Amino acid sequence: MTFFAKFCIPFIVGAVVMFAIVLIKYFSWLRNLPKSDLKLIAKGIFTPRTLAAVWEIVCESLLHRRIFRVNPRLGYMHMSLAFGWFLLIAVGWIETVAYLGFEWVPLQGHVFFKYFVPLNGIEGHKPVFDFVMDLLLLFVLSGVGLAWYKRMRSRALGMKRTTKHILFDRIALSALWCIFPLRLMAESITAAIYGGGSFLTGGIGTLMAKTINADILTLLYEPAWWLYSLALGTFFISMPFSRYMHIFTEIPLIFLRHYRLKPTAKEKSYDNFEVEACSRCGICIDPCQLQLQLGINDVQSVYFLRDRRYNMLQQKIANNCLMCGRCEQVCPVGINLNTLRLNSRSSMRNIPNEGRYNYLRGMDRSQGEGKVGYFAGCMTLLTPNTLSAMQKIFSAAREKVWWADKDGGVCCGRPLKLTGEPDSAQKMIDYNKALFAKHNITTLVTSCPICLRVFREEYDLHGIEVLHHSEYILRLMQQGRLSVNYSTDATFTYHDPCELGRGSNIYDQPRAVIEAIGQLMEPAHNRKNALCCGSSVANTAINDRQQLTIAQGVAEELDATGANTVVTACPLCKKAITRGATKQVKDLSEIVAENLK
Amino acid sequence: MKHTIIIGGGIAGMQCALTLSRQGVATTIIEKENDLGGKLRNWHVLFPTFTPADEVLSQMRHKLSTATNVTIKTGCEATKITPTAVTLATGEELKCDAVVIATGFTLFDAHIKEEYGYGIYDNVVTSADLEQMFNKGEVKLSTGETPRRVAILHCVGSRDEKVCQRHCSKVCCVTGVKQAIELKRLFPAADVFNFYMDIRMFGPGYEEMYREAQQAYNVHFVRGRISEVSPTIDNRLQIKAEDTLTGRPLKLGVDMLVLLIGMRSNDLNATLEAGSGLKCQPSGFMQPKDSFHGNVESGVEGIFYAGAVTAPKNVGESMNEGTTAAMAVVEWLSKR
Repeated sequence: MTFFAKFCIPFIVGAVVMFAIVLIKYFSWLRNLPKSDLKLIAKGIFTPRTLAAVWEIVCESLLHRRIFRVNPRLGYMHMSLAFGWFLLIAVGWIETVAYLGFEWVPLQGHVFFKYFVPLNGIEGHKPVFDFVMDLLLLFVLSGVGLAWYKRMRSRALGMKRTTKHILFDRIALSALWCIFPLRLMAESITAAIYGGGSFLTGGIGTLMAKTINADILTLLYEPAWWLYSLALGTFFISMPFSRYMHIFTEIPLIFLRHYRLKPTAKEKSYDNFEVEACSRCGICIDPCQLQLQLGINDVQSVYFLRDRRYNMLQQKIANNCLMCGRCEQVCPVGINLNTLRLNSRSSMRNIPNEGRYNYLRGMDRSQGEGKVGYFAGCMTLLTPNTLSAMQKIFSAAREKVWWADKDGGVCCGRPLKLTGEPDSAQKMIDYNKALFAKHNITTLVTSCPICLRVFREEYDLHGIEVLHHSEYILRLMQQGRLSVNYSTDATFTYHDPCELGRGSNIYDQPRAVIEAIGQLMEPAHNRKNALCCGSSVANTAINDRQQLTIAQGVAEELDATGANTVVTACPLCKKAITRGATKQVKDLSEIVAENLK
Repeated sequence: MKHTIIIGGGIAGMQCALTLSRQGVATTIIEKENDLGGKLRNWHVLFPTFTPADEVLSQMRHKLSTATNVTIKTGCEATKITPTAVTLATGEELKCDAVVIATGFTLFDAHIKEEYGYGIYDNVVTSADLEQMFNKGEVKLSTGETPRRVAILHCVGSRDEKVCQRHCSKVCCVTGVKQAIELKRLFPAADVFNFYMDIRMFGPGYEEMYREAQQAYNVHFVRGRISEVSPTIDNRLQIKAEDTLTGRPLKLGVDMLVLLIGMRSNDLNATLEAGSGLKCQPSGFMQPKDSFHGNVESGVEGIFYAGAVTAPKNVGESMNEGTTAAMAVVEWLSKR
């Protein structure tokens, strides 16, 4: 049997080029993985994790479950394209097997089966396959239709803004949009001439046979299949260079993730899998406050990843991010957007001057003695109301406290990590770790979520429990060591700091403390969707005016709750919101200290 | 007889009323406080001559009391201003032929710079507080002791983007020098430090006073802003700063910290702007029609400005603007 026609050439060339490039990419990325990552793969590959990965691939790469959760209409669009196309290929393969038995058929034989059926005079019509294949084609076409509609009116699919694409993306996108309508045309013309097809291709074919001259149909027959093959070939060749690289890349990524590989403070080969798994869907654009409130629309994660992938990343893009994590929260591929941005920053400007840190040696300005250590952090030292409130709380609970930095100490290191200087940050981390160990504390309390996060994630403090003051205060209250007065007249609204909420998953403790003192009124965006105050130390690109604009937006939303007092649990958020607010803004510790029994 | 309403009974408004009275124009001063004199009432002595503020003010009050056709309405606020009528908070509407807005400025609230500990720690005071202490003759620490070391911090709420006050308040530098000298006169043995960004000695006699502070009074000047203040165990204040001339961080224990708070625009200015045709500058101060030919004109015919409502100004400048605004009013009225 022949399974070749000249029009197949674009498809064959495209498919070969695509698979070759994709395989070369994966091979070189895997080969360059650090030894520790390779060990992780070896450890995980023959465990149930591999099965779990396969299941996730079905759920995510095919069904797009996570996009469904964020936005059902968008989820359907992606699922119809991915899952529909996958089924077309799978059912198409079954169809050839059903007709020919387990005979080797070249790739183009499967793809263009409808063309080769009359050519090879295959007997025994199986209408059920015609029906299923038509149904699947309709399913995919509905997705293509939605995609067209989304380009024209993105709001209709629940997106205020969509991604601005580069040339390769546009070529691939145009080819992709043409593939299925062209397939519909080619198969319909074939049905018009040779019969076959079901309600869709068969229906259109019958209509064509009735209305169009048979000679013209014969004339259109070959060109229609050529166009379909050309669209496929164009898409395949542009795919590895475009956003559509995500289609395949998400698969190895899911496996690697299940083997516990993750991006780190320094760039490494694994990052390629995450970077190229970005489909540039643009879901990350809408939640970004830089876009929402400042109209900055070229720095969002989708553009950062794109620029990084094509080696055209500029510092002004990498640095212009609040690291609030609102985009990471919604990313359907689950890419570690903040970590990737940080390690980009690190590669772009990690030039520590060793002499800068000589002052660390032998310094100890801590005071007091106790099993509980308190680390104010630089921002709490700049908001001394919080510091004196903590002092009151400690003495009310009769806690003996070792004050790590009341008289000035060494930075926790997180601001340096955020600006892309992990090596310098490590010096501070080592210093503080040694200081904590020297004073034999068992609990470390901090009122700064920025410090909290680095203590928990980077410090590896064996035998020392790290607590945010909201957790600590709640614990004191539950233990009966601290009691506060409740007043129905006191109304509070609470701003979730990024580093505390999304960063450290602490949402309930501060709320429980507030509810013990008065009534809590939630703002429109809260918990996982909370807004960023705008003064994040992670953004070194926006100016003070722009920070203020963001803060005013946040303050407005908090004011709209009608609460008397705005409460937050981060000294930086407090300072930022105070600038934009009309109501009084207080740290959680302040309202506790003011209402002690 | 033509009638002009002056909003604000500080020195600019008072001087304006005096001049208009001499020119035969009837005036009404609307003052929201119960007494004329504005911010000057709480000041001790004025730079660079150390003239008591009270002396300047009582002279003005005396002249006003003998002036003809000046009506003074204290304890009342204007809510709506048009060139032909001013509405008061009581609902009363006063007809007029021209309006002079001389509502001055607001002192920056030092609580906003929480890191300096105002309202949190003892012995952190503002420059305005210190003037009152001078007036009462009670310059002392919360314990009743006399201060042995005082730090004066310039630019609190001025030239500070972080609190949305980008402008220079102009008079704080020289006030800092003046207050340092006053402190040294009271406590010759005390160390007085000025922490500054720039020393802007713009007026006659100011530079000489700055030199005198250094040479005759041994006041120390350190270029660098204080970053934070914390209390010490013995209830003193520890300040952290950077000496930007030597490029070194420094820590200093002091008994008292004086914050030279800046002049910011009145919150009221934004409501003045709404629907009236008047304009605010980005700093919030009112925008005069022209910086050279129309300093005291507002851009709305019949409404004039005098004093610090348009920008930070010292006492002499505000009084001059009172006169200038009065002359502009006379010219405007003669045309009608």
